[in-house]
Amino acid sequence: MNQNGHRRTSVMIVDDEEMVITSIQAFLQLETDFEVQGFTDPEEAARFVENHPVDVVVSDYLMPKMNGIQLLARIKEVQPEASRVLLTGHADKQSAIQAINQVALFQYLEKPWDNSQLMLVVASGGERSRLFRELREKVEALDSAHAALKNAQRRLIQAFL
Amino acid sequence: MASIGRLLAGVVHEINTPLGSIFSNNDVLLRSLGMLDELLADGRPESLEKARRIVATCQTLAAVDGIACERIRAIIRGLKTFARVDTNEPRMVDLNEHLRDTIKLTEAEFRRRIKVETDFGDLPAIECFPQMLNQVFLNILVNAGHAIEGEGTIRVRTSMERGGVQVSISDTGRGMTPEEQERAFEAGFTTKPVGEGTGMGLAIASQIVEERHGGSIWFESQPGVGTTFYLRIPAVQKRSPQR
Repeated sequence: MNQNGHRRTSVMIVDDEEMVITSIQAFLQLETDFEVQGFTDPEEAARFVENHPVDVVVSDYLMPKMNGIQLLARIKEVQPEASRVLLTGHADKQSAIQAINQVALFQYLEKPWDNSQLMLVVASGGERSRLFRELREKVEALDSAHAALKNAQRRLIQAFL
Repeated sequence: MASIGRLLAGVVHEINTPLGSIFSNNDVLLRSLGMLDELLADGRPESLEKARRIVATCQTLAAVDGIACERIRAIIRGLKTFARVDTNEPRMVDLNEHLRDTIKLTEAEFRRRIKVETDFGDLPAIECFPQMLNQVFLNILVNAGHAIEGEGTIRVRTSMERGGVQVSISDTGRGMTPEEQERAFEAGFTTKPVGEGTGMGLAIASQIVEERHGGSIWFESQPGVGTTFYLRIPAVQKRSPQR
């Protein structure tokens, strides 16, 4: 928990280049209280999200075994609320369009990236995920309240009939 | 020959990754210095403890910068071998070194989809036109990469044979059909879609190896198993007047 009583924003960095993870991790740890997880293996990252809540995923595009869009698509299935960011040095329009259409990308960043911009994207991505989660929780609470009300109404009607 | 353009796109990607790291690290180092200034001026034990942690991070980042620069230098070195223009006179070179540089360039395109294994024999320096041969190596390597769907391996072997150097490049790709084998060296023949291949790669390769160097180039291919290209380059070139 941080000072505001929220769970710390959880950020996941996936890049087959260790140096990218080291750099981004060092930056986020210096400037934020985010919890940062780094993975060089996209399959390992996909397994991790199955039982750990993640707010923001920043993924490289070209990686062995699985590309960034495939990874983000898998994460979208398991944790639809996580904000998905593609960070790529392979700036072609095709992959950008594919990413936006297939995995409802939150942001598309190019390498070399700018730290201030990265921070803005990660922070707003975290905020967005938190709001989505809260919204879902509120809707669920409303649904159960609604169901309880319905139930009470049914019992009331039965009592009078 | 269309491979150069695609290869360059790969090289750009390959440079942007370490470059991104260096930019980011430099930014973090600057921010850290600002923080260190304040923490040291403050001087409380917990501030000093935090300062120590920041220094440790900075040391790691400086080491990463070193690795990143080294990576960029290796890529640029590979590019430089291509940029130099061959003079009319052959030069004495170590072909292993040139193969290594060319392989480095293809890594950008292959990423880790394809593993390139090398088995280099002890070679003496031989007389040749190295940039032309680099072009040949590059074409064969890129073809080998295209022949492999998904993951695979390319093996590059060099050895000293009678009177010259032999280079072999084998792939675990789809191999060539008998018709493709028949026409492989034909100018304009390509199995790639329009716009991707010019069908000139192997035609030019055979011209460079056979006509310019007096060597030979041949291949063995089996559909579904892979292809191996062999090049034999004589150790000594005939002098210009005798050509």
